Amino acid sequence: MTAIVSVSNLDKYFGHLHVIKNISLDVQPREVVCLIGRSGSGKSTLLRCINFLEEPSHGSIEVDGLRVDSGGRGKEQRQLIHDLRLKTGMVFQEFNLFPHMTVLENVIEGPVIVKNTDRKQAIALAEENLNSVGMLFKKDEYPLRLSGGQKQRVAIARALTMQPRVMLFDEPTSALDPELIGEVLNVMKKVALDGMTMLVVTHEMGFAREVADRVIVMSEGELIEDSKPDELFKNPKDPRTKALIDRYRTGEQ
Amino acid sequence: MVQTQKSQAELLFDAQQRKVRLFRTYVTISWVVLLGLLIYIFSGPIELDTEFIRKNALFIAGGVWQTLFISVVSIIMAIVLALLAALGRLSTFPPIYALSTFYVSMIRGTPLFLQIFFFYLALPQLGIVFPAIWSGILPLGLNYGAYMSETFRAGISSVSKGQREAAAALGMTPLQTMRRVILPQALRFAIPPMGNDFISMTKDSALVSATGFVHEVMWRATRVGRAQFNNLEALIVAAIFYWGMTLILTFFQSRLEARLGRGDR
Repeated sequence: MTAIVSVSNLDKYFGHLHVIKNISLDVQPREVVCLIGRSGSGKSTLLRCINFLEEPSHGSIEVDGLRVDSGGRGKEQRQLIHDLRLKTGMVFQEFNLFPHMTVLENVIEGPVIVKNTDRKQAIALAEENLNSVGMLFKKDEYPLRLSGGQKQRVAIARALTMQPRVMLFDEPTSALDPELIGEVLNVMKKVALDGMTMLVVTHEMGFAREVADRVIVMSEGELIEDSKPDELFKNPKDPRTKALIDRYRTGEQ
Repeated sequence: MVQTQKSQAELLFDAQQRKVRLFRTYVTISWVVLLGLLIYIFSGPIELDTEFIRKNALFIAGGVWQTLFISVVSIIMAIVLALLAALGRLSTFPPIYALSTFYVSMIRGTPLFLQIFFFYLALPQLGIVFPAIWSGILPLGLNYGAYMSETFRAGISSVSKGQREAAAALGMTPLQTMRRVILPQALRFAIPPMGNDFISMTKDSALVSATGFVHEVMWRATRVGRAQFNNLEALIVAAIFYWGMTLILTFFQSRLEARLGRGDR
């Protein structure tokens, strides 16, 4: 089976700070991969490099057969990045819904403006996705009137309506009140069951354990462990992984 | 009986509402008293030449359209300039940034009155002559454009980085992001100060009268006032027209603000 996402020899510097250190990573179609690690370990940066929200310093990204190398300039590179972003959907920690648009307008904005989808068709698709995240009943509300969990579910519907090949989640529940986390995780689980390939940066160990096919642990810009969740949580190989898991265990109690 | 009783929170809310309503009523009454006082002073203790007012009010009122025309055209010009200057100010290309800051600094560093005379008196010396009304509109537009660019820049900066990232992740181009995501939010932020600017503009347009070629409200008032030595009456009539215009504009501004406020923050 060929990988749907390939990260090859990726490096990222912020000034002199080396935040991603020569990382290579393959993700198979329909796979759910959770990225965990302490804050500052580079996991969010790695995720943001995949759709070039951060430009990698070295290396390349390949999604669904489209390869984009770092360091490119000009019109051709812009086109490549644009195509790459059409293949990836992203969900942010802070939701980033457009406050001047209703829920439905938020969700159809991408298809209508970027993909020139017929408006009626976009609305049909948007309503289908809003329904599957349980937010159709709020389609004419403005984001201001929604709870954090509802906003994030709309953000997931917005990303799905672009019909991406891969979904990237950047700490999707970290900005939520504890009682709202569950509804978002449930929606994500549903997206996973529908067969979407997902990369999820998260602190939710329960989710990683239950839903992920693979869990990748990062520390100081490196991948230190990459294994099935059962294995990883029962027998962490790296002492840093063990420390990380223990911290969450005590945190949960 | 339990369901008809109001909760503590509702009672508190009602009490607050009553207080607000009472305050508004008193303010309205005070306004009426102040206005009545003003009318009384000018009808009794200070004697006005009502005959003069009756004869010339219409003549002065004829300038309202000129005043509004100058203001509307100038404000449109100012908005375009302000938007360009604000985008220039946010540019990372040094010459564009420099052009924008140069323009704003030069205009804000000199009096509007001087700028108006520059267009009437200085430019003709170089053989550059605009039609009279445009020599008033151009400096007003340039001047307000420089001031408003700050408002626009603040509006654009107020839109969070996350909004740009969300747009980029959807595959929007920078132009689409600006047009669909950034500007609508920035404009909403900028509408209240822009409304204030427009209202100031209708008043500052009076400066154009000093050059003697544009027959707007102020020019007409001073003309008939000086000719018959009835400056008091003439200026009071002009003041009433300006005040009336600003009241009407303020009303429309608050309506627009309410409309644009949907879904905000």
